Amino acid sequence: MVKKPELKTWKDIAVGGFVESGTAEYFHTGGWRSKVPVWQKQNCIQCLTCWAFCPDNSIKVVDGAKGKERAGFDYDFCKGCGICAEECPQNNKITKELKTKDASLKITPSTGSGKPGFDEKAAILFVGLKEAKDKYNIK
Amino acid sequence: MEKTIAARTGNEAMAEAMRQINPDVCAAYPITPATEIMQIFAGFVNDGKVKTNLITVESEHSAMSACVGSAASGARTMTATSSQGLAYMHEILFIAAGIRLPIVLAEVNRNISAPINIHCDHSDTMAERDSGWIQLFSENPQEAYDAMIMAPRIAEHKDVSLPIMVTTDGFIISHGMERIELYPDAEVQKFVGEYKAPYNVLDVDHPITVGSIVLQDYTFEFKKAQHEAMKNAKRVILEVGREFAKTFGKEYGLIEAYKCDDADYITISLGSTAGTTKTAVEELRAEGIKAGLIKIRSFRPFPAEEIAAILSKAKAVAVLDRSESMSNQAGPVATEVKNGLYDAGMKVPLASYIYGLGGREIFIEDIKDVYKELKNIADGKSKPEQAKYIGLKV
Repeated sequence: MVKKPELKTWKDIAVGGFVESGTAEYFHTGGWRSKVPVWQKQNCIQCLTCWAFCPDNSIKVVDGAKGKERAGFDYDFCKGCGICAEECPQNNKITKELKTKDASLKITPSTGSGKPGFDEKAAILFVGLKEAKDKYNIK
Repeated sequence: MEKTIAARTGNEAMAEAMRQINPDVCAAYPITPATEIMQIFAGFVNDGKVKTNLITVESEHSAMSACVGSAASGARTMTATSSQGLAYMHEILFIAAGIRLPIVLAEVNRNISAPINIHCDHSDTMAERDSGWIQLFSENPQEAYDAMIMAPRIAEHKDVSLPIMVTTDGFIISHGMERIELYPDAEVQKFVGEYKAPYNVLDVDHPITVGSIVLQDYTFEFKKAQHEAMKNAKRVILEVGREFAKTFGKEYGLIEAYKCDDADYITISLGSTAGTTKTAVEELRAEGIKAGLIKIRSFRPFPAEEIAAILSKAKAVAVLDRSESMSNQAGPVATEVKNGLYDAGMKVPLASYIYGLGGREIFIEDIKDVYKELKNIADGKSKPEQAKYIGLKV
């Protein structure tokens, strides 16, 4: 038997179904992800562009020696949109370099993962679920 | 209380009630024959007779959307529309009802295209019968004025918290001038009272989210709560009607039963035609035919039990629908009445009629013919027909 979760009855829900603020914290939307961003700390220039662009506040930031510093991803809420990888200046730089070497190369900062020369220098990779799990141990 | 006797059209009467109520916000877009309501009201705003924030928008979809935002922000909110305008509000009407905002809408019943026709029938309002709005019909400008004064009290009641549309019949009531009794501003304002918002999204000390996504886990409960609110609306319409009678001297219920106590033949209609029918009833009674009328005032919530109780002694019944639902069976009012009779375990001979589409005139003689047909049905001389068109060119 599957145990039914304890839910409110129709008499208990607020009029019009309004909800108190802050409940998004309890609703882990990371499960919606079909692609996964992977942060490569060694290549990160700490510009915090990804933090500014993330639509879901999923870039963790900590206090560092020189002020705010980017930490990992909050995978409870990251829906895998790839905006962080697309906007990352380091990713853009490496993409431009690779395209200069080979004009026929069709990549963008968020689709370069796995292409020769990209993964070594990119700050944010954007990979499939299986690769994330097997190679980077991200569930 | 000193009442003012005046001559007012339906639109003037509704605008007058809105002036007296002095809502916080109105958002509206003009459409015939409801345009005049907001036109007159805009004059009140311009002249400083009300403190209302009047938002002129670019469509009815936007008008109702602005009303939703306004009402959710703790402001008493009203609008007016008709026909295609109401249809254009369609999706937002469901949202207003679902998130339980007590918006008041002055609706002037008009044909829905096609064909393009600006005149009265009930097809616009009937098309929104499942939207979750309370729907009150008026027989004349006085009833429209009175209903507008009661509307905020019904809609804002804590056991209801639903939007309400008060309707008049396009041109017949909206532009027809009649004798009307107006009440003093102070008495109306005292009766209506302060706005009681169900919640307020602008209350920064208690931030909330309204209109969020609700999936399989709670949509069912959400709808059940709405269903119960509409049930409560029946009780509250009666309570407010009784209180209105104490203050202003005229009581309103869910229906008006006119000469039904001993009636053999009863017709059911709503809106202005009920007034015409009363004259037909008088004339028939002078001829010795025991005719009666049920005027439905509240179509949503639908007073099924109340109607069935009155029909229990009738020999034959006719329902007059001023709209088509293309069900091949009967118009929307007849369908609802039949539902109620089935649940009451009753099988009364019932004929259903379609009349007055696009403003086609209905005369006292037409209605008397309906009663005479009911007599034939009761006498076994003919069988009740369904969705029979009255006054059709054949």
